[in-house]
Amino acid sequence: MAKSMEDLYQERMERYKKANRMEKPDKVPFRPFAAELAGKVAGYTAQQVTHDPDLGLDAVIKMCERVPGIDAAVVNMVYVNTSVTESYGLKYYRVPGIQLDADDSFQYMEPQNDEEAFMKVEDYERFIEDPNEFVMNVWLPRTSNYMVPPGEENTWKNNLAWMKNGIAIQQYFQKLGANVGRMRTDTGTVSAIAGALKAPFDILADKFRGFRGIAYDIRRCPEKVLKATEAIAPHMAWNCIATADPSRNVPCSHWMHRGATGFFSEEVFQKFYWPTLKQVTEQIWGAGIQTIYYAEGKWARNLKTFRELPDKSIIFHCDKDDIYEVKRVLGDKFPISGGVPNDMLAFGEPADVKKRVKQLIQDFGPDGGYILDAEAIMQQDVKVENFIAMGEACEEYGYI
Amino acid sequence: MAEKTSVPGVCFPWEEKKKEYEEIKGDEEIVKTWWEQYDVHAYVHLWFCVIGL
Repeated sequence: MAKSMEDLYQERMERYKKANRMEKPDKVPFRPFAAELAGKVAGYTAQQVTHDPDLGLDAVIKMCERVPGIDAAVVNMVYVNTSVTESYGLKYYRVPGIQLDADDSFQYMEPQNDEEAFMKVEDYERFIEDPNEFVMNVWLPRTSNYMVPPGEENTWKNNLAWMKNGIAIQQYFQKLGANVGRMRTDTGTVSAIAGALKAPFDILADKFRGFRGIAYDIRRCPEKVLKATEAIAPHMAWNCIATADPSRNVPCSHWMHRGATGFFSEEVFQKFYWPTLKQVTEQIWGAGIQTIYYAEGKWARNLKTFRELPDKSIIFHCDKDDIYEVKRVLGDKFPISGGVPNDMLAFGEPADVKKRVKQLIQDFGPDGGYILDAEAIMQQDVKVENFIAMGEACEEYGYI
Repeated sequence: MAEKTSVPGVCFPWEEKKKEYEEIKGDEEIVKTWWEQYDVHAYVHLWFCVIGL
C-alpha cells in the first residue's frame, strides 16, 4: 500500500531532524536550496517566478513533485518578489523582465560611493541611537523611489507606497504560509527553514554602508562600526526568533557574506564580524533554534572560530571550502551540508553528479549529521537532468 | 508621536499611546493588547524590508 502524503512527510521530517541533530537517519536527507531552478523545472521563466508570487510558489510544488527524493525544500528561494519591491519603488534590485532579460536572475546593485550610500558615514550616531527610527525615517525613504522622509513635502506616491508595501508584504506572507501547507499535503515535503538571521556586520555592510563604505569605516571609525553592530544585534535576534518555527523542528537560515576570507582579514573577522554574530547565534540557540550557517564563499581560516559555539547549535553549509577540511575542523561538533559543485550541475553530466553524490554519501553518511545539497543556491544555469540525477542518486545510495 | 524606541519588537510603545487618552473607561488590557499586536506587525514588517529584501 502506498504511503500517504502525511506518512511521507513524517518520515522525511524525522530524517531531516535526525541529520540536523547529528544523529544517523535512515537515509541521507536531500535538502536542495533551489531558487530560479525550481521555475526551470516547472517550466516558468525567471521573470514569471520573480513577478508572480503564485507561480513562484507553484514552481516549488512542481519541483517537489518532479525531482525524486527531496526531503526538505525552501518554500520560495526567489526572495525578490516584485509584487513587493515594485509596490514602493525599491531602488537596489535589477529584475528579470524589466532591466534584465526574462531568464536572468535578479541582481543586487550596491551604491558605489558615499554620496549614494543608503547610510552616510555621518549617520552612525543616529543609527546607533535608534535603529528602528533610522530604518523607518532615513533608510526606507533613501532606498525607495517614492517614499519621502519626515520633514519633506508629502506626496501622493509616498502615501501610496506605504499602503501598497504593507498590503503586498501581508499578502506575500499569507501565500508563503499557505504554500508550506501545500508542500506538506500535496508532496509530503518538509519546509526546510523558518526565520532568517543576518550577521550584524553583514547587514551593516550589505544594506546600509555598502562594501566600499564599510571597508573604509573599519579604519576611519572602527568604534562606530562596532557600536553599530551592537545596536543591530538585538534586532537580528528578535526577528529571527519571532519568525522561526514555533515547533522548533526546522532551523533558521543565516546567509553569510562579508566574513568570508576573500573580503577581510582574520583580524577584521575577529574584531567586527564574530563577536555579535556569536552573541546572536547563542541567543537563538538558547531559544531552542538551530541556525544554518550558509557560508557563501570560502571561510577556511575562520572555520576554527565557529567551534566556540555550543555543540549542534549550527548546521554548517559548505560552499567553496573543501568539505573534507570542514568535516575535519567542525564535523565532531556540527552537522554539515553541501558538497555538490554548482559548476558540475551546470556544465557536467548526470553521471558526474551521481558519482559525486555517491562519494559524499559514502564519506559522510555513515557518521550521520550530513545533509545533501549543492554548494550554492541553485539558479537557472543548473541543468534539470543534473538536478534530477542528484535526487536519484540520493535515493539509490542514500539509505545507509 | 514616539520616534525613539530602539527596542526590538516595538515601534510605537503602548506607554506613549496611552498618554493620548484622557482616561480608559473599560478594560485597559484589551486596548493595550490590540495596540501592541499591530505595533509588533509593523516592527516585523519594517525589518523584513531590511533583512528579507
